[in-house]
Amino acid sequence: MAVHSLTVKQIISRIRQVFPDAPEAYIMSLINDALVECGLYSTKSMSAKINIVKDQTYYDISDSGQDSSSNTLELNKIYRVDFMDSSGDYIKIPRLLNGEVLVSDIESESAVEQPD
Amino acid sequence: MASNINFPEDRVVYFLKGDAIGVVSSYSSSGESRTDRKMWQPLDHAVANGLLIHYWADPKKVTAITDTPDIDNAFHLAIVDYVKMCLYMDKTGSQGNETAAVSLQLSQMHKGKFLETVRRFGDRRREKTGGLRAILPANFQ
Repeated sequence: MAVHSLTVKQIISRIRQVFPDAPEAYIMSLINDALVECGLYSTKSMSAKINIVKDQTYYDISDSGQDSSSNTLELNKIYRVDFMDSSGDYIKIPRLLNGEVLVSDIESESAVEQPD
Repeated sequence: MASNINFPEDRVVYFLKGDAIGVVSSYSSSGESRTDRKMWQPLDHAVANGLLIHYWADPKKVTAITDTPDIDNAFHLAIVDYVKMCLYMDKTGSQGNETAAVSLQLSQMHKGKFLETVRRFGDRRREKTGGLRAILPANFQ
């Protein structure tokens, strides 16, 4: 691999130059904290396809949400959405700001969060 | 299976509600006429891979020392700074006043470096934008 990157082992060895007694598990925990923090600032761009289900309004985009290939989305912030047209091309669709015009019916919306 | 909708940009919209994305359409496969208050309804036909979303994602967590952090290598040194920031902060709480002051200062230094890399520059530092710019105007015909 031509591009220089750091493995966890290399990160730990850099940390141990200053903190020789720092436990490995604790450093890995802090590395994961750092990754969560980095994820908040537009660092990893992804695209995913989701199956549209007949008569379903809401689609899960939580931490455990999945795309049409059953891969976990791990989604933080959506910045664009496209919809497939009749030719099979993906066309950008607008985000609705006024949610008041929407309707939900008695059979729908199992994805809406309900108290338990 | 493609959608039945010719112009999704006019007939389909999305909105976000908590941990769900809502997709509604003013299109009816059966030609049903809808009043304004019930104009937008769920899609009345299934579309495989119908929605393509682009998003900022959470990096995967590391679980073994042989892992490489799931983030652009431009941010790997920032991770080192973050860990040092935390360890110096830990040290601050377990030392005498004079040494604690030095640890606190070093913690702040690493915090500044981390924030500068990730928050201030973030995506801009490694963006691949270049070359001439062009704008495609809408066709008003």
